Amino acid sequence: MKKVVPEIDSGKCTGCGDCVAKCPTHAVALVDGKSVIVRPEDCDYCTECEVLCPSGAVRCPFEIVLVEAEPRATEKR
Amino acid sequence: MLATADFLKRLPYFATLSPQALEQLARETRELSLDKGEIIFLEEEPCDGLYLVASGQIRIFKSSPEGREQVLHIARPGDTFNDVPVFDGGLNPASAAALEPSVVYLIPKDILLSLVANCPVGVAIIKQLSAQMRRLTQMVEDLSFHSVVSRVARMLLDLATVEGSSAPVPRLTQDEMAGMVGSVRDVVGRALKSLERAGAIKMEGHRLLVVDAGRLKEMSYVSDKSRIR
Repeated sequence: MKKVVPEIDSGKCTGCGDCVAKCPTHAVALVDGKSVIVRPEDCDYCTECEVLCPSGAVRCPFEIVLVEAEPRATEKR
Repeated sequence: MLATADFLKRLPYFATLSPQALEQLARETRELSLDKGEIIFLEEEPCDGLYLVASGQIRIFKSSPEGREQVLHIARPGDTFNDVPVFDGGLNPASAAALEPSVVYLIPKDILLSLVANCPVGVAIIKQLSAQMRRLTQMVEDLSFHSVVSRVARMLLDLATVEGSSAPVPRLTQDEMAGMVGSVRDVVGRALKSLERAGAIKMEGHRLLVVDAGRLKEMSYVSDKSRIR
């Protein structure tokens, strides 16, 4: 299964490099003036890049999944 | 009965009724005289019907398990209250008590529903609006009485999709979660960590896993006295 990484909107990315500087695992780099997750295997989805991006170009959505077969919750669906 | 019929005719709900229909409605309407502070009905009780304020003031409020109150509305002469459960069939969404000596009229639920029964589309629309109003009332309760941790827990219980089911999996950023529970991202981030420490959820990369729905439900009812907003 392909590893899911933060979504970067290249249209909004200004190439300021803040995420590159602050990424704790150095998974992101500037490519042609835009931030790109160049080492997805290193990304631990800490969401720091989303927090600090000044242009709102980064999104880190979470899939919300019930993994416990709990009768009350499964009945709802 | 004439006085009751005259009063009913002045209300927008019944302004178009014929004199005969108004008289009939007045005969079915009960008048209640209330002392200051007297409780008319309580939240979560079955609904008796629609109430109309003839005189005085009625406090409509929610209560927390610790006894704190959030007033939703002060109903004054000419106002109705308890409209929602009449039309959506649920329990009373809030409590009502007289703020001062008051007189209210009670139109029994079945009588009121009979007035709209011949317009199924109208009934369906009213039901939908009532359900929306009930959700908003619940939101007021959550924002007033529950900590961010419990609001996040409730949101996750509502949204979580059973793994492997065909239902679409909700995908939310922490900012979007904050918007749903009336808080901010940092606080939601801390709430998620609290829920994870409690063993209710597990954060695995981009997946937020509800691993103990029972525990999450317990935490959704915590009304933390040192609430973080």
